[in-house]
Amino acid sequence: MNENEIVIRVKNLTVTFGTFRAVDNVSFEVYRGEIFGFLGANGAGKTTTMRTLCGILNPSGGKVEVGGKDVSSSTAVLKPRIGYMSQKFTLYPDLSVQENLRFAGSLYGMDEAQIDIRARKIKSFIGLPEHLSGPVGQLSGGVKQMAALAAALLHDPDFVFLDEPTAGTSPQTREAFWALIRRLAEQGKTIFVTTHYMDEAEYCGRIALMERGKMVAQGTPAELKKQFFPVKPLELSFSQPLIKQVRQALAEEGVASSVFGDCLRVRTADRAAFERATRPYQKGFSVYETEPTLEDVFLEAVSGGRGV
Amino acid sequence: MNFSWRRARSIAYKEYKHIRRDPFTLAVTLILPLLFVGLFGFVIDLDYKNLRVYVRDNDQTSVSRRFLQEVASSGYFKLLPVHGQLELERALMRNDSPALMIIRQGFGRNIRNAQPGQVQLLADGTDNVQAGIMGTYIQGALQQAAAIFAKENPDISSLSAPAGERIRSRFLFNPELNSRWFIVPALSTIIIGFLAIVLTALTVAKEWENGSMELLLSTPVRPAEIVLGKLMPYFLLTFVDVLVVFVLALYVFRIPFLGSFALYMTACGVYITGALALGLLISVVTRQQQAAIQFAFAAGLLPSFIFSGFIFPIENMPLFFQYFTALFPQRWFLLISRTVFLSDAAPAVLGGALLAIVAFAAVMILLAVHKFKTDVEP
Repeated sequence: MNENEIVIRVKNLTVTFGTFRAVDNVSFEVYRGEIFGFLGANGAGKTTTMRTLCGILNPSGGKVEVGGKDVSSSTAVLKPRIGYMSQKFTLYPDLSVQENLRFAGSLYGMDEAQIDIRARKIKSFIGLPEHLSGPVGQLSGGVKQMAALAAALLHDPDFVFLDEPTAGTSPQTREAFWALIRRLAEQGKTIFVTTHYMDEAEYCGRIALMERGKMVAQGTPAELKKQFFPVKPLELSFSQPLIKQVRQALAEEGVASSVFGDCLRVRTADRAAFERATRPYQKGFSVYETEPTLEDVFLEAVSGGRGV
Repeated sequence: MNFSWRRARSIAYKEYKHIRRDPFTLAVTLILPLLFVGLFGFVIDLDYKNLRVYVRDNDQTSVSRRFLQEVASSGYFKLLPVHGQLELERALMRNDSPALMIIRQGFGRNIRNAQPGQVQLLADGTDNVQAGIMGTYIQGALQQAAAIFAKENPDISSLSAPAGERIRSRFLFNPELNSRWFIVPALSTIIIGFLAIVLTALTVAKEWENGSMELLLSTPVRPAEIVLGKLMPYFLLTFVDVLVVFVLALYVFRIPFLGSFALYMTACGVYITGALALGLLISVVTRQQQAAIQFAFAAGLLPSFIFSGFIFPIENMPLFFQYFTALFPQRWFLLISRTVFLSDAAPAVLGGALLAIVAFAAVMILLAVHKFKTDVEP
């Protein structure tokens, strides 16, 4: 298995709905066995990009290749190799987990015995109880998500597309989900995952940041942090209630800041401006350098360095 | 195109499970035809019986009395004699009868002289159908009375002579023109066609709305497999309706069934396949349950009542509409249904109609497959 083999290649992808450009000239590559994170706010074009990769949405322009094959012309060959978990809950709520899995499996040409063996394996891998009777619609949100993941993985796909798999689930479920995703990647599956949780992006091998249909940055989390923060962000911890005044003063110097609890985070390379603004309040806070988070990167990237 | 029966069967089996877990749909499907055919079959009765008619006999001869006796014995009318002008006017004002009949003085003399007997019928024109039918009935009774009178009095030479050419009608297949015989087979056409369209109209739209279509499209399943897979269980369900209505027609309404049972069941199968496929087409195109159900109601009811010949005879329509109705399978199936129930016509007689419903079903299935959207573009 070649770790550096490119298995997903997207070149100048554009998707328009009427006059609206949902995805605008986006290019990226994904390597085999990689966890590739697609980040952005709602409406940034993440889901649209993923759907074109799965072959359920036609690109308006550009080229989309999965597994070395053009998606629009080789859908029939590619679909069995793709596992897709939509953002929406797509299982049938009136059928049980087992019935849903049997149905999904049969569409991939698996027979009942194959499906049952595979289902048992997947369920134990995911940590889904073996016997969940009753309709899926009546299960809890976390279990539903696990069941949907099981349905997407049942036919042992090479490429796994997960669209906001952890949206609206508990922190424990999110944790468990990401552990699974890492193990899937270790098995050699290529994972393409979208999220708007910035902390989750840290788990990804590489990430791409999307903003209104355009890709604003891509790279490993470390690369992105370095790229956007050659100078580390500062954190101010206050001993006197001066947050408002300091923010005001910083803003007057053109320095953006954001409030984190009783701290103030300042993302600027312009240390001189920072000094000028904060000098009058120096006794009221202590300041230290921090590691930039991906959240900082995202804010910096989408604001184009102008500050938010 | 790699059509897979296995995938089509999977869709069918899944659909069967949906049906089984939806008691409401199941109940509606089984109870609605009973209710519809049952109620309509009893309520719609286009035969008139015992219509109240005031009669004023100004002639008062044996001939006029013989005529009235003839009219009364038909069973269509309940004659209420009135005497004198005042009573006649009062009867008119009471407004409790659809018609008033006046026999002119000299009625008997005219008949004896083989001249037309004059009877005036004042009918309530607000119900034009009823008024027209009454006119025809009275005309018939008049002729009958004249004929009987001629037979009973052969001594009157002028009457024994043939009264010119006359059309004599004999109604075949439904000699009493029992309207129920005519209506019940038609009702089953309408209700089964309607149910079939509505049942499938929701199925694809539902998958679009609850998101499961996204999953379906990401699997190797193809539109033809989805369409056929969805047709199969609903075909069986609707066929149960066909049998229920058939039993109802034969054993509750006592409609004779003279034609070929195999032919009728085959035609039913083709007809419901076309209707189910039309429902699917509506669902495939609208992708929204709300819109789909509205279209389905329109497509299921309007042609059934207006263009099938159920209410308005097709022969009376403007030429354009006569051809236009040919597009609707309800017209053809209605023809088949009435013919097969009431006559033992050879299948060849219905060849055109059978061909039409087969063509309709085929076109609907192809269209539903062709129009099936395989991407999630809004």
